[in-house]
Amino acid sequence: MEKMKNNDTLHKSARHVLLVMLAVLPAAVSAGPSGQAMAFTCAGCHGTDGSSVGPSMPAIAGMDPEVFVDAMKAYRQDERNSSIMNRIAKAYTDEQLKEMGWFFASQRLQLFPQQYDATLAARGAELHEEYCEKCHENGGRPGDAGTLAGQWMPYLHYTMEDFLDGNRKWPRKMKRKVDAAIEEAGDDAIPALVNFYGSQR
Amino acid sequence: MPSRIETKRVACLWVALLGLMITSAATAVTPEPVDGTAQPAGELMIDNFDPETGKRIIPNERCLTCHGDEEHRTDVRDDGSPVEIFVHSEQIEASVHGSQKCTSCHVTIDRVPHRKAPSVIVGCIECHRETWKEHKDDPDGKHERLEVVNEQIASYMQSVHARPNELDQSRTNATCYDCHAGHNVGELGSIQRAEHRLQNPEICGHCHEKELEDYRTSDHGKAVMEERDSEAAVCSDCHTTHEIASPETDKAKLQITKNCGDCHQEAQRTYFKSYHGQVHRLGYTDAAKCHDCHGGHLVKSEDDPTSEIHASNRLQNCRNCHEDANENFLSFWPHGDAHDRENYPGLWAFRVFMEILVFAVMAFFWVHVLLWLYRELMDRIQGKGFVEDLSQPDVVYFRRFPLVWRWIHFLFAIATMTLILTGTTLLFSHTAWAKAVVEFLGGIRMEGIIHRTAAVIWLGIFFTHLAIATTNIWRKRKTFEWFGSTSLVPNMKDFRDLRDMFKWFLGRGPRPQFSQWTYWQKFDYWAPFWGATVIGLSGLILFMPDKTSLILPGWTFNIANLVHAEEALLAAIFLNSVHFFNVHFRPERFPMSTAIFTGVIPIDEFKHDHRLQYERLLETGELEKHLVHRPSRRLSLAASFITTVLIMAGLTLLTLVLFGLVTLPS
Repeated sequence: MEKMKNNDTLHKSARHVLLVMLAVLPAAVSAGPSGQAMAFTCAGCHGTDGSSVGPSMPAIAGMDPEVFVDAMKAYRQDERNSSIMNRIAKAYTDEQLKEMGWFFASQRLQLFPQQYDATLAARGAELHEEYCEKCHENGGRPGDAGTLAGQWMPYLHYTMEDFLDGNRKWPRKMKRKVDAAIEEAGDDAIPALVNFYGSQR
Repeated sequence: MPSRIETKRVACLWVALLGLMITSAATAVTPEPVDGTAQPAGELMIDNFDPETGKRIIPNERCLTCHGDEEHRTDVRDDGSPVEIFVHSEQIEASVHGSQKCTSCHVTIDRVPHRKAPSVIVGCIECHRETWKEHKDDPDGKHERLEVVNEQIASYMQSVHARPNELDQSRTNATCYDCHAGHNVGELGSIQRAEHRLQNPEICGHCHEKELEDYRTSDHGKAVMEERDSEAAVCSDCHTTHEIASPETDKAKLQITKNCGDCHQEAQRTYFKSYHGQVHRLGYTDAAKCHDCHGGHLVKSEDDPTSEIHASNRLQNCRNCHEDANENFLSFWPHGDAHDRENYPGLWAFRVFMEILVFAVMAFFWVHVLLWLYRELMDRIQGKGFVEDLSQPDVVYFRRFPLVWRWIHFLFAIATMTLILTGTTLLFSHTAWAKAVVEFLGGIRMEGIIHRTAAVIWLGIFFTHLAIATTNIWRKRKTFEWFGSTSLVPNMKDFRDLRDMFKWFLGRGPRPQFSQWTYWQKFDYWAPFWGATVIGLSGLILFMPDKTSLILPGWTFNIANLVHAEEALLAAIFLNSVHFFNVHFRPERFPMSTAIFTGVIPIDEFKHDHRLQYERLLETGELEKHLVHRPSRRLSLAASFITTVLIMAGLTLLTLVLFGLVTLPS
């Protein structure tokens, strides 16, 4: 009888714990998943914590959080050429995008060695210094103009094609600069720049 | 039992979930770098965010990447138009704002590269106000210049520049950085200041193009823009820096004329001596101001044939205001200086003569007053002299003045006081009282009307009196003795009396005995004859200058103005001090004599002051004819009242005049 009583008490305390948890749970749910939790779903394409392993998938670890939010909002509003990002972006609120942005900004970008042409990369360095450095500062390292240094070269190629083909809207002044680089280096201009960025460590 | 199983399951689930969260969080925080990048783990790869607020920081160097590139000073706007984007980083660093961040002022810049065409939205006022409020009590005094800045802000806010632009009400006519090189604000006395002065015309000229074009051709403009003389006048020297008013307003006209004097002190001094300058200094812009004659932005020396004051252009210049001006105007001295013997000998001579006259008359009579006061006080102490017995007042009075003279004196006194008040406002236009009086009277033009009306009454009374006196003498022409005891004509006895009075003053003889008129009364009577001549003649010239100037040469106005003022000054001081003492304030009469309003004096006073006449009348048996009863109490009160008012008014005028004289700028 005493044992029974004891068991009853245990059950009661366990029930109390559960009740408290149930009471707290809705509050936790309403706070929403953390940026980190939301970022888990990105790993499939963009690699763990945004360090992409795929050649055409941009690395987003360590990137400027406001650039991240800008890109996501552009996808959400179908203002940026995409395969599936426009559909994914629609799932997030502004606040969630900001949290995800800060999660990726807080990550270290893991770079994977890429094969590049050293001659073209050297030419690209000159072109970068002349036409790109003012916006893509420090050789294109993460900043308010995105991440170019160490970025996957195929991705850079596709993106430049998008710009040049009119599939993606040029940021202010960029067309002028790219045109000038092509004017100077001809068809080598884009490969040179892509090789330069790909050569970055 | 089922509940027990349930509890275990739930607990297991929670433990598993918790473990999952901890491990994933741990791996997220400490990733393994595979490529050996330089940065340590845990730090942001981007460095331009405030770790506490998460806000973007834009360092000045980032801005200067583009805006400090000397090789690419211009950029192209979205519409294709060129835009100057270069700023001198060294200038900013050397300026008072050297330690500020670009974005402290350029608050709308939040992204670099700029996502949208950036608009220059900079608000200087709030920051300067707040900073001053915060630091005004700092003991190091590092921010004390901000006090001046805040005063200038207050002035600016009242200026025409701070008003909404008529074509675009969303902006002001001009704002701080339209004039101040925003990136190059220097400390007082710094090289930036001198540079800023030299750039001032160009800066103002951005909006005021026509004015700059004119200014460029002027003597000021040439000195500043061609010879790079930063001491020569730039726009803000005349127009002020922050209080700028619309040039059509009185405020601007007054400011500009005042500011000309900051450099041209001598010209301003002589200008203020002229009628034009006096009117101006009273706060009215009706009369000619510096720029009316010299040209504002086109100011040039008189040798320049294109100058407005060049001999061949001067008459046309006068005609801007004096439409009918003829050649006579050319001999007027707008800056005539009565102290400059070399250039204006005529004017100088008149001044010297008038000043000797004023000083001599005043010196003589003030000595006379003081000695007389001394003597009467000494006599009183010694129980001598004439003391009215108040317990037994006189019932018999002697008639001194018939009604007509009493009226004439009353009107003459009123007119004289009005003339003194209105006239001395011009003479002492530098005083606050003069400005207040003119404003009270209704402005400079109304004052001119009042002064001229009083002058007409004054001269009218003078001539009326002359007519009555002449008629009286004519009637008695057979018996009238020109130098007789009742005549006002001075005679030798007057000079002897004067000598004897001085002896009496000094205790060296008895008080002389007088006839019907004492010598000081005769002086008071005859002085206005001289005054009427000098003031009347000069006043007539000045009465209608537009008309008289057609007949008289211009320099007569300089002289008329001078003598009119000097003689008026003499009259104002003499009447309100010496005349008042002789008649009212000397101990025998104090506090006043009402004889000029009641027309009678107590017989004892007559006996004392006019002993010879009293004895003569007694001898001839004519005394009875002049004796009357004591005036009624009401008449006495009325006379005392009027006398008191006039004395008070006179003393007030004397105070104002003396104050004006003492404070007269040298």
